[in-house]
Amino acid sequence: MNIPILSYMVFSPILGMILVMLLKKEQVQGIRWVSAIFSFIPLILSFFLLANYDPSTSKMQFVEFHKWIPSLGANYHLGADGLSVPMLFLTALLSFVSIIGSFNINFRVKEYFAFFLLLETGMLGVFCALDFFLFYIFWEIMLVPMYFLIGIWGGPRKEYAAIKFFLYTLFGSVFMLVGILALYFTVEPHTLNMMELIRRAPELSRGFQLIVYVAFYLAFAIKVPIFPFHTWLPDAHVEAPTAVSVVLAGILLKMGLYGLLRVSYPMFPKAALYFALPLALLAVINIIYGALVCMAQKDLKKLVAYSSVSHMGFCVLGIAAITVTGISGCVFQMVSHGLITGALFLLVGVLYDRAHTRDIDAFGGLWVKLPVYSGIMTLFCLGSLGLPGLSGFVSEFMVFIGAFPVFKVIVAIAVLGVVLTAGYFLRMIQRIFLGEFNPKWEGLPEISGREIFTVTPLAILMIFIGVYPMPLANMIRATMENIVRLVGG
Amino acid sequence: MFKTYFPIALLLILVLGMAFVIVLLSRFLGRRIPSKDKLSTYECGIEPTGDARGRFPVKFFLIAILFIIFDIEIVFLYPWAVVFKKLKVFGLIEMGIFLFILLIGYFYIVKKGALRWE
Amino acid sequence: MSWLTPDINFKIISPELIILIVALLVLILEPLLKGRSKNILPHISWIGVALALVSVITLWNREELGFNQMFILDNFSCFFKIIFLSGTLLVILSSISYLKEEKIFHGEYFSLILFATFGMMLMASSLNLIVIFLGLEIMSLCLYILAGFRRYDLKSNESSMKYFLIGAFASGFLLYGIAMLYGATNSTNLKEILIFTQGFENPLFLFIGLGLILVGLGFKIASFPFHMWVPDVYEGAPTPITAFISSGPKAAGFSALLRILLFAFGSLHIDWSFVLWILAVLTMSFGNVIALSQTNIKRLLAYSSIAHAGYVLVALVAGGDSGISSAMFYLLAYTFMNIGAFIIIIFLGEKKVNLDDYSGLVTKYPILGITLALFMFSLAGFPPTSGFMAKFYVFSSAIKSGYTGLAIIGVLNSFVSVYYYLRVVVIMFMRAPVDEVQKVPIPFFLGLALLFSVWGTLHLGILPQSFLTLAQNSIFSPF
Repeated sequence: MNIPILSYMVFSPILGMILVMLLKKEQVQGIRWVSAIFSFIPLILSFFLLANYDPSTSKMQFVEFHKWIPSLGANYHLGADGLSVPMLFLTALLSFVSIIGSFNINFRVKEYFAFFLLLETGMLGVFCALDFFLFYIFWEIMLVPMYFLIGIWGGPRKEYAAIKFFLYTLFGSVFMLVGILALYFTVEPHTLNMMELIRRAPELSRGFQLIVYVAFYLAFAIKVPIFPFHTWLPDAHVEAPTAVSVVLAGILLKMGLYGLLRVSYPMFPKAALYFALPLALLAVINIIYGALVCMAQKDLKKLVAYSSVSHMGFCVLGIAAITVTGISGCVFQMVSHGLITGALFLLVGVLYDRAHTRDIDAFGGLWVKLPVYSGIMTLFCLGSLGLPGLSGFVSEFMVFIGAFPVFKVIVAIAVLGVVLTAGYFLRMIQRIFLGEFNPKWEGLPEISGREIFTVTPLAILMIFIGVYPMPLANMIRATMENIVRLVGG
Repeated sequence: MFKTYFPIALLLILVLGMAFVIVLLSRFLGRRIPSKDKLSTYECGIEPTGDARGRFPVKFFLIAILFIIFDIEIVFLYPWAVVFKKLKVFGLIEMGIFLFILLIGYFYIVKKGALRWE
Repeated sequence: MSWLTPDINFKIISPELIILIVALLVLILEPLLKGRSKNILPHISWIGVALALVSVITLWNREELGFNQMFILDNFSCFFKIIFLSGTLLVILSSISYLKEEKIFHGEYFSLILFATFGMMLMASSLNLIVIFLGLEIMSLCLYILAGFRRYDLKSNESSMKYFLIGAFASGFLLYGIAMLYGATNSTNLKEILIFTQGFENPLFLFIGLGLILVGLGFKIASFPFHMWVPDVYEGAPTPITAFISSGPKAAGFSALLRILLFAFGSLHIDWSFVLWILAVLTMSFGNVIALSQTNIKRLLAYSSIAHAGYVLVALVAGGDSGISSAMFYLLAYTFMNIGAFIIIIFLGEKKVNLDDYSGLVTKYPILGITLALFMFSLAGFPPTSGFMAKFYVFSSAIKSGYTGLAIIGVLNSFVSVYYYLRVVVIMFMRAPVDEVQKVPIPFFLGLALLFSVWGTLHLGILPQSFLTLAQNSIFSPF
């Protein structure tokens, strides 16, 4: 196949961005629709990817390779495997949904959509770059629009949140840069090709692997975020505008996990084995700590944000186990968390737009007034707390199955996290939707058609994966087996 | 190191010692008959008036600077004249270029009115 | 006594000659032209610079010595001349409207800039310490005057005076160092010094001389601890001159430093690299840390320019082929992004130099806001801009030569620097505009210069290969 489908996917949002920049500031509708169309293109292309993906091999597919900067050993190298394809699909879907969900932005519309499209390019690029240089560039590019999106359209403490997010992430990525350079100069002949580096991994000495693993780990752990690097997350999520929170939780957090699976594990297998137990411990801290903090939250958005910390813990636990089931569970959780939390943020945004408050205690008995909204919200909350039949259950179950043979005690503690999750979500549902109706919200309008449209695909996928997880499992199996084989766990 | 610099150091000491001794000797041996004229400030034979740190128009300063520039030009001309025969035509052209560049400077100065005295 | 006619070769100094002739022409025309006809002077100047650029390009890939081995034409010098000339071009183009605004539109301004450029070109091309000194003095004397060009402004006077005093002091050090080297090696020719340093015995004088030269040039490149003049001079000088000082003379100083350290003293790399290691770390850290608390954008960029000198020093410490070429690439990238950032400050004028004046700039001048943000991201070293590529190249050459610790310190420093560069962006994008003064259209030539620097910043960032090849082909063979 000769069509550079991944390039089209990555760069079509950039094209949209240029078009948006050319439009006049006043043509708000035009800007909105151009952005929607240009974020729809990657979504169509990602369906094409799903259809043409060959799940029988762990080899890179849809590969594109061009020489770029020979002096620095950097090439333009894209490709996708069982790990990237679901992520690319998720990215395209959530970006499209978020752009539709941002139609209610009325302040500096042009810049907003331009940044959003740039962000989409960065995210798509990270998930299919196979050259370290390119990977790093996409990784950094994505930071800039994110920073503006939080800093301009965010809540009251937007500047603080934006700069905190930016500096935290950058702090990690500068270490990644040093790690990349160290790798480049250690391997003979020098190369930045990730596939080539994975092949050469056995040549790297154990000490070197440990050091470079830590450098990369900083970058990825801050992004996930793994305890104790999580403190940027609540600030950024709470201050960010709704659609940006969706992308932040749905995709950006997955980048850290993607990095661990794509870079840290295959390239530094000895270090991965060495750090498996500490990673599992941190994962369980994430799960329990995140859940406990959620129990105490009064702010609805903060609750969802901390629930992300907790859910990311499950992903990390799956990764730490280094079993095929565990890692597959992690990928499942990545997809499922993207769908569910994305939807939850959208729904929180819907409520906030109407009520201008996110205080859980301020509501009560909303089910009477907003039955459709309450139903949808409850569905996603149940998905998030792991109700069987929805995607959250499948993924958490797989993680536990995969990790139990390796870390028995840790998994036993982690399961408690599921109980806590159920606890805080049910408490939230009870406070907001059940109980006595608070007459203050008499005039609250029901969820609109556009908003239902944004969460519908997410709900369908959540149920689909929950009921029939086989297609996704088949798609990723070969790649996951390959990763486990490379680590040799 | 020591060997090379020792004669210089020796010379330095000798010179300093000699100067010191001579000044001292004239102090002790010479006769002093002070008079009014002898004690007055020597200023080209003219009575000094006013403060030495008095202000003067900045125009003098400009002229002085310009004088130095063109004075240096003359200083260059002397050694050039000495070896002129050896340098032959090359020397002539080279000095021509040098003078030409200075001429441009002179032209600029005149046109800018730096030499006008109002 | 026999006399040898010096080997005069006008071809190899043709770019310098063009600049010199244009400078003299502008000087003659200035008193002759009256009133509006003076407007052609900047155009004569930039056309001259462009011609010189063309002539540099025609001299590419030739290696010739001339003037009794005092002058060398090689790709190294050509590359630096490209840096100087593009910097000068940008500065001249962006000065035109500024000078009229400030009512200091005089022909001497352009003439002096051209003379200074001539001095820099001489520095890059010299193979003799005396010629380096000559070039340095020609350059510096012009800059002292230019820094004080806003005669009616006290800060400008202060800037000129400080620059002059400290510059003269530095020249003294440099000259003393040259004398020491001459005493030690019996020559001021870099090739002969190279032959001497490859020998077994190196007298103490040699190192004292080298140290003094390091001090002298350290002032010019604004490295720690010879940086004290930088903020005051940058703040007081007319903004185009600040842009000029921060790019050209710094690059010229580095060109001399590269030749002296990596060529003449290449075999003693172990001896001096440790000193430079410390200097690099201190320069980077000091510049970045002090810049954090600045509220005046010119001072902020002054400290940032100190920090950037530190990054280039990292390349010098690394040494070797990649060290030289990465330093050159860095200086080229820095010229575009730094002058680019200054062009916007030039446009906004001398009265708007506080960071608060930039509030909401992007809503008032979207193009300026976005480009300034681009330059800030580039200075901070963010992909896909030239700043990132340059830093990547410098740090990779450091790691290649085994200075991993230095590279980590450098990377952490650029992390610190992000904070203050971002602050400018925050103020421009996230604050409401302060005043509703009428919007002024962007002058054509200033816009052209801006376009040129944006092009440079993006081209060097996205498709750097051609310039990397250029830099790699233009290294002199290091020891």
